[in-house]
Amino acid sequence: MTDVAMRERTPPPATLDRPLDYLHDAHTLRSWLFTIDHKRIGILYLIAITAFFIIGAVAAGLVRLALVVPDGQIFTNDTYNKLFTIHGVVMVWFFLIPSIPATFGNFLLPLMIGAKDLAFPRLNLLSWYVFMTGAVFTLATVVIGGVDTGWTFYAPLSTTFSNTWVVPALIGVIVVGFSSILTGLNFVVTVHTMRAPGMHWFRMPIFVWTMYATSLIFLLATPVITMALILLVMERAFGIGVFDPALGGDPVLFEHLFWFYSHPAVYIMVLPGMGVISEIIPAFAQKKIFGYKFICYATIGLASITFFVWGHHMFVNGQSEYASLAFSFLSFAVAVPSAVKVYNWTATIHKGDIHLDTPMLYAMGYIGLFVLGGLTGLFLATLAIDEHIHDTYFVVAHFHYIMVGGTMLAFLGGLHFWWPKFTGRMYPEVWGRISALLIFLGFNVTFFPQFILGYLGMPRRYHVYPHEFQLLNILSSAGSTILAVGYIFPMIYLLWSLWFGKRAPSDPWNAKGLEWTTSSPPPKHNFIVPPIVDFEPYDYPVKAGESV
Amino acid sequence: MSDRAAIGVELAEQFTDVAQQRRAATLGMWSWLLTELLLFAALFLIALVLRILHPDSVREAAHHLKFWIGATNTAVLICSSLTMSGAIVTSRLGWQRAMVRCMLATAALGSLFLVFKGYEYYQDYIEHMTPFLAWRPYELSGDRASQLYVSLYYVATALHAFHLTTGVAILLGLAWQARANGYLQRHQNRIEIYGLYWHFIDLMWIMVFTIIYVMNR
Ligand SMILES: [Cu+2]
Repeated sequence: MTDVAMRERTPPPATLDRPLDYLHDAHTLRSWLFTIDHKRIGILYLIAITAFFIIGAVAAGLVRLALVVPDGQIFTNDTYNKLFTIHGVVMVWFFLIPSIPATFGNFLLPLMIGAKDLAFPRLNLLSWYVFMTGAVFTLATVVIGGVDTGWTFYAPLSTTFSNTWVVPALIGVIVVGFSSILTGLNFVVTVHTMRAPGMHWFRMPIFVWTMYATSLIFLLATPVITMALILLVMERAFGIGVFDPALGGDPVLFEHLFWFYSHPAVYIMVLPGMGVISEIIPAFAQKKIFGYKFICYATIGLASITFFVWGHHMFVNGQSEYASLAFSFLSFAVAVPSAVKVYNWTATIHKGDIHLDTPMLYAMGYIGLFVLGGLTGLFLATLAIDEHIHDTYFVVAHFHYIMVGGTMLAFLGGLHFWWPKFTGRMYPEVWGRISALLIFLGFNVTFFPQFILGYLGMPRRYHVYPHEFQLLNILSSAGSTILAVGYIFPMIYLLWSLWFGKRAPSDPWNAKGLEWTTSSPPPKHNFIVPPIVDFEPYDYPVKAGESV
Repeated sequence: MSDRAAIGVELAEQFTDVAQQRRAATLGMWSWLLTELLLFAALFLIALVLRILHPDSVREAAHHLKFWIGATNTAVLICSSLTMSGAIVTSRLGWQRAMVRCMLATAALGSLFLVFKGYEYYQDYIEHMTPFLAWRPYELSGDRASQLYVSLYYVATALHAFHLTTGVAILLGLAWQARANGYLQRHQNRIEIYGLYWHFIDLMWIMVFTIIYVMNR
């Protein structure tokens, strides 16, 4: 009986004068900057990371511009080094890592488990301020002063040879790390303690599972790189020598500490994307997700294996070949849970009632690109092949297929999927589909040639290259302009929709999940009546003859 | 004790009941401690790597560390954990004034640790055991790797001292708040949660002392 009461209750239609919704609760700038509402904090993050994304994307555009000519005449070597460092630092540390967890996670996690807010709302606001402090500080140093080490800050370049503003950039990145830790802590505690009555672990949406797994990585991996970066600062400031062989240290030690975080960081970026896709696909296939528990276990599996594969970044730096062998084997093992997910998504789509709306286009694009990115990861995990393609454009293409193809497409898909929930407005569907297709096309034209370039031997991070690589580089740069158009469209029409979009109902996609049972946008404490969960996740109508 | 106060926790609006709020706060602190443990763990790992790479240099450097000051400090911090436990027990019993006294005793022991630590740094300084100061050359026995180990000693102990300084400051803040009547009725769990943090600082010192001072002698 509570089931009927819960699911049938229709909140009042969204109107501007309805006092309860979180956007119209108060209007002052102060009410935003001092908010402790997880939804508003999610929106603050969304605005911030969009700004950072634009900066990172402009730097990427300039890098692609430089690579149009083979003799490196467009920028000086130093400028080129600084440009790809801006691109890498901003995109990895200030866009990709916070992207889905800090925006959608903040906004949706309490909604999806039926809570009023995160466990520690003030801490949540604090982590936004910590994030902004670190990010703006580093941005100022990499844009105004410039840093040329790449986003990886490898010693001895970062400790001894670079003449750029490495220390301030490092300090900013260290500060941002604490924001990740605080967000992760908040999510872990929220998932453990704030679930609505009846919301068992195996009734949580996959997105919540992925947020939980991501948060564990935040908690366990971030402090290690924090210490590594602190020692890097010490090394540069006092020359203590932890990473300097002349002083008894070891630069490879930095690589170990760096990748102990930065490989799991790949899963900080990818797991949330997988969570988003796992929400979109059942909604647009109108079908219960296939193998729910397997996806949960695969999520935890990925989050665990990810801590034991960092050595695959170091096959050619002289580490023991027995270690390399183990790291190679474990990296192959990552393919298993990844494949479980891909098969489950495709099985969910199979014979579903498929609607090719914008979020679904992004989701399908995601599956394709993730498969390609994942499979080329196996090339790199193979010791003999890695000797050949290590540090080439093959690697660049591989991780862009995972990070742009994976995280970015999931981010945009999720943004369109939950846009009605965030803002109470629908985006223009036609423009949405056009941009989704442009991004898919532009992405592949940009990055597929880089696989070939890398396989032919073009190293990464050089802007002078042999003439025979020019055609493929021009193709890649041309693709990036298509990609840019695909990014600019949503920025325009989503903003437009805030004022002129159609008003959104509570559940525009006929999707399941607690976030769709409350109004769009949700009221201040999310639910007018605290929900009680007595239904299974993804309880889409089961058709005759369908097995689940 | 006659002034036995009611104990309880003021419910924050995002929680449905006090039990949930207590669970969340406890788990939150444990999660934070887990992160902190990994922060220190990176340093411990480097100390062990150095020991494997340069066993003789590390042993040479460890002989210059002031073992007895470190050992005394270990005892001081263990006593402070005892008084902190006293604060927790008295807070559960509602003996607010006794609790405040225990907290002040804990802060005093923490400060005593910092005084000893400061004295140890001073001794290190006058012995020229400061390889990171360009204008004050290292004058003790040992090679470059020994100096690296000494620098690592400074990083590890300074990180711990930073935690302890913050810890004492927070503890004094809490004790200041707890002067007011009815504090335990509203915020008893703050003492419990804070106790976890204090014990953790103690534990980290025991590990720093063992790994940096004791193991390499
Ligand atoms: Cu990796």
